Amino acid sequence: MPDSLKLSSIAKWPWAVLTPVLLFVAVSILAPWITPYDPAAQDYSAVLQGFSQEHWLGTDYLGRDMFSRIIAGARVSLVAMSIVLAAALIIGVMVGSFAGYVGGRTELVLISLIDIILSLPSLVVALAFIGIIGPGYWSMIAALTMAWWANYARMSRAVVTSELHQPYIEAARVMGAGHLHIFCRHILPHVLALVVVYASADAGALVLAIATLSFLGLGVEPPTPEWGQMLVDGMNYLEQYPHLVILPGLALTLVVSSFNLLGEHFALKKVPKGLSKRRLGILKKRRAREEMNMLEQEAKA
Amino acid sequence: MFNTFRSTIRRPLFVFFTVLLTAVVTIFPIVSSAQEQKPLRIAIKQETGNLDLLQNVSALSTYSLVFDPLIRYGENGQLEPALATSWEVSEDGTKLSFNLRQDVAFSDGTPFNANTARWNLERWMGKPEFAWIGISDAMQSIETTGMYELTINLSRPVPAALYELTIIRPVRFLSPNAVDAEGRQTAPVGTGPWVVTENNNSRTLLTRNNNYWGSKPSFSSMELKVVPDELARSNGLRSGDLDIIGGDWVSPLSPRRARTMQRDPNVAVVAEPGTTSILLTFSPKSPLLQDQRVREAIDLSIERNAIVAIIYEGFATPTTNLFPTVIPFSGDRVVLPQRDVKSARSKLEQAGWKRSGNQWLKDGKVLELELMVSEEALPGSRRLAEMIQGQLSETGIKVRVSSVDNATIHDRRPVFQYDLTFMATYGAPYDPHGTLANLLLSGVDSGPDGKIYTNPELDVVVQSALNAQGDERIIKMQAIYNWLNANMAVSPLVSPKRLWAYNRRVGNFQLPATDYQMPGTDVTLSE
Repeated sequence: MPDSLKLSSIAKWPWAVLTPVLLFVAVSILAPWITPYDPAAQDYSAVLQGFSQEHWLGTDYLGRDMFSRIIAGARVSLVAMSIVLAAALIIGVMVGSFAGYVGGRTELVLISLIDIILSLPSLVVALAFIGIIGPGYWSMIAALTMAWWANYARMSRAVVTSELHQPYIEAARVMGAGHLHIFCRHILPHVLALVVVYASADAGALVLAIATLSFLGLGVEPPTPEWGQMLVDGMNYLEQYPHLVILPGLALTLVVSSFNLLGEHFALKKVPKGLSKRRLGILKKRRAREEMNMLEQEAKA
Repeated sequence: MFNTFRSTIRRPLFVFFTVLLTAVVTIFPIVSSAQEQKPLRIAIKQETGNLDLLQNVSALSTYSLVFDPLIRYGENGQLEPALATSWEVSEDGTKLSFNLRQDVAFSDGTPFNANTARWNLERWMGKPEFAWIGISDAMQSIETTGMYELTINLSRPVPAALYELTIIRPVRFLSPNAVDAEGRQTAPVGTGPWVVTENNNSRTLLTRNNNYWGSKPSFSSMELKVVPDELARSNGLRSGDLDIIGGDWVSPLSPRRARTMQRDPNVAVVAEPGTTSILLTFSPKSPLLQDQRVREAIDLSIERNAIVAIIYEGFATPTTNLFPTVIPFSGDRVVLPQRDVKSARSKLEQAGWKRSGNQWLKDGKVLELELMVSEEALPGSRRLAEMIQGQLSETGIKVRVSSVDNATIHDRRPVFQYDLTFMATYGAPYDPHGTLANLLLSGVDSGPDGKIYTNPELDVVVQSALNAQGDERIIKMQAIYNWLNANMAVSPLVSPKRLWAYNRRVGNFQLPATDYQMPGTDVTLSE
């Protein structure tokens, strides 16, 4: 079965899934030093060239080096994705946790708002938002944040509501802990544990959304290289110079799938596993030892 | 026994009817296709619309198939007779007399004569919404001096009057029976070679007007298929689903696609000198562009030949003239300047800008300009903007390309909310008077088109040229072009070629005189 095969291979090398993501992150951090050419520099004497020693992945219609543009594009995509993810996480966790913690009418209003946003496809929300504030790099980031935060808010609220009724919270309260202490110390770690895992799975979708908006001309402004924009520029030359479309498409596919793999891996770790006989034996022994210790202590007393 | 009889009679009957049915099914389409030729199929980028002559809602190109004007815009701006066989302009230019064509009827049978012509002209002449047409603004009265004689009296001479009568809308003629009680058009009924038989958002079907006064089309029907995507159109042409594509207003064909299609043996690409120019315009309200030397530095940084080669794939002519030569009164040709980054930089220094790294500073401000473009408004403009951005960055002028939608560019253009933008001249049959009056005169409302440049001094020069007649007109028109050049008011970039393509089924393909018209009436079709 392919599924079990995939799971077992991931289980054997849990850090293997991180490799492509780390590779892309490293490339995007080092982009200014490893690009052989200025990704925006036009050279009319070398337009639409194929693969060569000077230009490893050829050049585009303005003679710009494709290799440099793809590397620089990774930086743009990953930086924008990180900003959106961080902003969406902060807003989502804050709003969701607040709703869950406070409860009552406030929760009802906030959760209704979250539900409304979630009922609309996120890209439509982003498009509408850009329609209002106008296109550009920062409006793209704002629009995607607006479209993404509600997901995390809903998750955070669910975790907060369930944790709030746990006995240890009651205990903390009885001991006189303040709301902020209870929330930050006892609830937030639970919220983050879940939400961050889902966010890592969303990273791929976000990279794709950024490329989609740029493809529609609503994202990154030229001459900043961006994969979605490189795709749309290459479309004109698809018949004769397919590498102009295939290369940014391939880069996009690789990043999206490696982030998805990572997200999947994290999500699997969160799934409760059945206890093996050996583990059960160990636990039983430990429990017996503890009971023995307690009995001994009682006897001493 | 009875059963046996039935089955013995049934079997031959069954076989007979099966054979008959098969024969009918096979032969019928062959017979019918032999009688009925497939229509000529032309791609259109958007649905035709209701073809109302007084409303600005329908696609312009289809009008020319259904409606005729008095005078037609011919090759190189020659005026050709259409519904008027001859015309005369009085010496003072205030009286236009027309002899109308006789034995012409609208496709619903209504005869065309001086009365129907006058009724048509009165529907729009003198109305405030058509004040942008000089002849409408200056109209005093319309007289019928005979069954086929008509005179238009003007309050002042309108030198471009005859050219104005060649445009698409609203000057063409509608059957008086095709309006409702309030005078609103109910159906597109004209005197043209084609009659609309089906019109919806996916296609417009036209059949030959057998009462047409001119030479009738050689085939009986024409289908205008709505194909909004440019790639889908060229694929449709190659696969044989479409016969003709092209034209800026019909179904634009990109230079890149035209170049690719030239290698296809089943497709012919036609590239003819165009009638429009693509301009880089400077906002007269931009604080950074108030200094003429900055505008000159920008112009000097531009490499027009590279634009022609890369963006237009060679299907354009680099130019610094406002109008291409095919436009009447387009003025003397200006020698194409060489790109000169050094001179551009010294212009900026003269203007008080200080170089710091790869940028220019003055009073703590960076020389950074916004170039507003819209792919919808001008296809290919985003790539052109990227190229200009690269060319200006060599001089050190920073350009921020802001890509906006059609609605935004239409909102921002009239209020000059940009530093730089691309505009196109209107092209034949509207030019030169259309572009000059609408896009250069500050007092004329050009709606979403905005202005190329405005200046009180320029207003006087343009107004005086538009009112001039005869030889004086040539001199005064030249004065406009000289003013624009001397003040570096606009940077014309290229004059793109008119691109069309057709497949081998189409014979005798001739480009329409303007891209606002539809081709196809003169062509022949082979299967």
